[in-house]
Amino acid sequence: MQTTHMATPVLEVAHLEKVYGALGNVTRALNDVSFTVNRGEFVGIMGASGSGKSTLLNCVSTIDSATSGTIRINGQDVTRMKQAKLSQFRREELGFIFQDSNLLDTLTARENIALPLTIARTNSAEISTRVQDVAARLSISQVLDKYPYQMSGGQQQRVAAARALVTDPTMIMADEPTGALDSKSARLLLESLEALNRRLRATVLMVTHDSFAASYTSRVLFIRDGKIFTELRRGDTDRREFFDRIMEVVAMMGGEGSDAL
Amino acid sequence: MLCKLAWGNVRRAGRDYLVYLLTLTLGVTVFYAFNTISMQVDIAGIDEKGLAQVMGSMLGDLTYFLAGVMAFLMVYANNFIMKRRKKEFGLYQVLGMGRGRVATIMALETVIVSVVAFVAGIVLGVGLSQLMTFFTASLFKTQIANFHFFFSVHAFNLTLACMLVMFVLTLLLNLRAVRRTKLIELMGAERRNESIKTRNPWIAIAIFAVGVVLVGVAYYRLLRDGFPLTATDSKLQEAMNQFGITTAMVTVGTFALFWGLSGMLIKLLQSLRGVYWRGLNMFTVRQLAAKVNTVCFSMGVIAMLLFLAITSVTCGMSIANVMNENLERYNPVDVSQTYAYYTPDTLDYYKEYVNPSEADRMVLADSTVDLYPAWHGKGKSAGNNDETGKKVNIADVAGEHVQIDSYLSYPVGGSNPSVTPSEMCKIMGEKLPKAFGGSNADAMGLYVTPASQYNKLRQMMGEEPVHIGHDQYLLTCDMGGELVDMYTKYMAGGHALTLGGHELKPATDKSDEDTAAIANSAMGSNPGTVVVSDELLSQLNLQPYSSSLLVNYKQGMDTTEADESIKYTVLDNLLVDGKEPGSWGTFITRSEMYAQAAQMNGLISYLAIYIGFVLVVACAAILSIQQLSNVADGSRSYRVLAQIGCDDRQIRHSVMAQQAVFFLFPLAVGLAHSFVALKVIIELVSIFGNMSIGGTVGLTCAIFLAAYGGYFLVTYLMSTGMVQAAIATRYSE
Repeated sequence: MQTTHMATPVLEVAHLEKVYGALGNVTRALNDVSFTVNRGEFVGIMGASGSGKSTLLNCVSTIDSATSGTIRINGQDVTRMKQAKLSQFRREELGFIFQDSNLLDTLTARENIALPLTIARTNSAEISTRVQDVAARLSISQVLDKYPYQMSGGQQQRVAAARALVTDPTMIMADEPTGALDSKSARLLLESLEALNRRLRATVLMVTHDSFAASYTSRVLFIRDGKIFTELRRGDTDRREFFDRIMEVVAMMGGEGSDAL
Repeated sequence: MLCKLAWGNVRRAGRDYLVYLLTLTLGVTVFYAFNTISMQVDIAGIDEKGLAQVMGSMLGDLTYFLAGVMAFLMVYANNFIMKRRKKEFGLYQVLGMGRGRVATIMALETVIVSVVAFVAGIVLGVGLSQLMTFFTASLFKTQIANFHFFFSVHAFNLTLACMLVMFVLTLLLNLRAVRRTKLIELMGAERRNESIKTRNPWIAIAIFAVGVVLVGVAYYRLLRDGFPLTATDSKLQEAMNQFGITTAMVTVGTFALFWGLSGMLIKLLQSLRGVYWRGLNMFTVRQLAAKVNTVCFSMGVIAMLLFLAITSVTCGMSIANVMNENLERYNPVDVSQTYAYYTPDTLDYYKEYVNPSEADRMVLADSTVDLYPAWHGKGKSAGNNDETGKKVNIADVAGEHVQIDSYLSYPVGGSNPSVTPSEMCKIMGEKLPKAFGGSNADAMGLYVTPASQYNKLRQMMGEEPVHIGHDQYLLTCDMGGELVDMYTKYMAGGHALTLGGHELKPATDKSDEDTAAIANSAMGSNPGTVVVSDELLSQLNLQPYSSSLLVNYKQGMDTTEADESIKYTVLDNLLVDGKEPGSWGTFITRSEMYAQAAQMNGLISYLAIYIGFVLVVACAAILSIQQLSNVADGSRSYRVLAQIGCDDRQIRHSVMAQQAVFFLFPLAVGLAHSFVALKVIIELVSIFGNMSIGGTVGLTCAIFLAAYGGYFLVTYLMSTGMVQAAIATRYSE
């Protein structure tokens, strides 16, 4: 379905390498990884623990620096950016959702969601409307004045998603967003992400080792030992079918990850 | 094996242990140095025996106080470290290590840190005590004749004992912590969302308002009532009770203030929408609120401690300063001897204290006696017997001299003074100075002195005599400050005085306090005297109260020698026709007063500075530990902030703002309390002269602020370091 919409590439990763350690004791976490994500795509990255998928996400999200290769987001090469520019870039272009929701304990849901906007010094009237809007979309309007410890895990994760979305980022980075959720909450969150992607054309990059979560995406990149092993496109197939195909690849890769189901 | 593990832990958890180590080292240093004071006094060449004793006993009590402060600090620092280390101890248990062995590791860690802190503290303490000797010498205005390196075994033993007690205490606390904590809590200490202690903001605001009101009313009460020191016996109990209520109000008010602070802050800032929803302000405020809620009690304690420190230091040193500054005025001559007459009020009282034969001799004084010819005495044994039996005559040493007679303002045998400060104030329509409120000085009224004697003293001091006509008066007072102001105002206003039916007009409009002393003294001898012409005085037949002989030594005579020759004199009873109209009073040499004042000044300053410093440092250390542990707890939050694109500068500002509130708010409250208390104290002390808060006091306060500010800065720098480290940690780890 995205073939009709693939106007611009949002993310271009070319020959990315990440090496840990010094001479003699080198771990090659990423080895010549190249791929492109287009605007409005929902891309999953799957791989076993230690496959390099989290390193990839860290590099793309500018939290970690690459050893060599380039990462272009919206045409800008983030590997060459200075620290101060990076903060601004993260603020304006990226939204993050983590495995544990990483909400700030001392802030209410409303304040947590508003945080990226206040950091960017958006005016308070606009903050208010945008927070309301995004909360409504993720059906968390009723918990806006609660503190994280007063919410369920699913609600927390959706608040975190709202925080990632509120700035209208170019790309949403999700690192195992369902990892800490029960299956019902996980499904709710994934449906929200899918809906965001479908209705608002939000670009989502999601790292997961859970085939069920991956089945909500439109394309899955499989990573093994720091390399892209293969990729699967959902095309027009329904989610069940896509899930089965993902499971096949996972089984072929060595079974790791199938324990999620 | 366990030793190795413990040693590795201490090294690895260096940053966490650093705070503990620093606090412990600081404690040991201060404790050791403090307990070497008696040795310092020795080396500084302060030879007064009495002083060493006074200091010794005062220091004994203070040592306990200090040990208490230290213990509190250490337990606090220890809790901080235990919180940080929970997860690791949990891990050992998961790996199958028994609780006993975990406890052993922990004990070993505590031993290592304590030993390092003790050694470092003693080394620093020895160094500090050498330096402090010079400080001591300068405070007591002595020269160090023979400086040598010293080490006090006594202080060392005390410090060691104190450390051991503290060590056992912290160990027991830690063991209890390990035993009682569940494994799941140890392991999951970091992960869970912290539940936030929230308070209903409206209740918080109400409590805050109650705090403000209580403190305000307490201020008002204190300013209105003053300290209960000047009240007379009958009212003292009542005044003390009232003062107790005021104290309770300010204490409760302070705690209420801090309890409600967070709610108040949130509501206030939330109402400023543009400010609240801007940058990290919202995060800063929420973070503050959450922490203030858990530490409001200790913030209250800190505010009160800072209040105590500031007030005691400023007040103690200022009093000492005032006394020093006015010393010259208080002691116009080389030596003075007073003689107190028996008055209607005192005669019966004195009679009770002597045997009947002597009592029979005592009579109501109806005229003054000449002291100069009467000043003969036999030498007295004063430890060395050289002088025993030697007759002493004041004429041997005296050069210029004058006798000043003070009468009460009523006729011989009468009562009810005709000139009192309260009456004078009523005439002027002013409030009676606080220092006088219900005091003896008011009940007794002003003294009356003949002009010739007053002018003789002025001449001796190189001043022009003042002409006082038959119907004129002059008011004198050597206590300075408010009292002199009042008398000057009275004369300048042209108000009349009535004495024995004579209406008198002021002879001049200014009272010269520098020639107003009646005798040498430590803090002034003349609370108020009416000087009238000799003729008038002789007509009035007033009740004699006291006479003083003021003597300057012969020109060219060595003061020390002269002092020595008459110092240990016991004067014979002065009999007039076989009757005794009074008794010899105080004998004071100027040099003795100067020496005493220097020592007193030294002692007060020393204790004030020491106590103040310990309190300030303790407060700052507690705040510092609190802040560092806050930052460590919040490291996850800072990481999240960085990830969602908050730049370092904003985060640093937020940390700075949070810590500034924690450091500055208790300081501000403490300062406000001190300001009010000092205002009252200054009023009270103004009987001794205008209290100036400058010079040494300013310097001391500057040092305190530097110490406090230094802690603030170090805490801030360490915090930003911790925040940077937290941000640098990859989140997927």
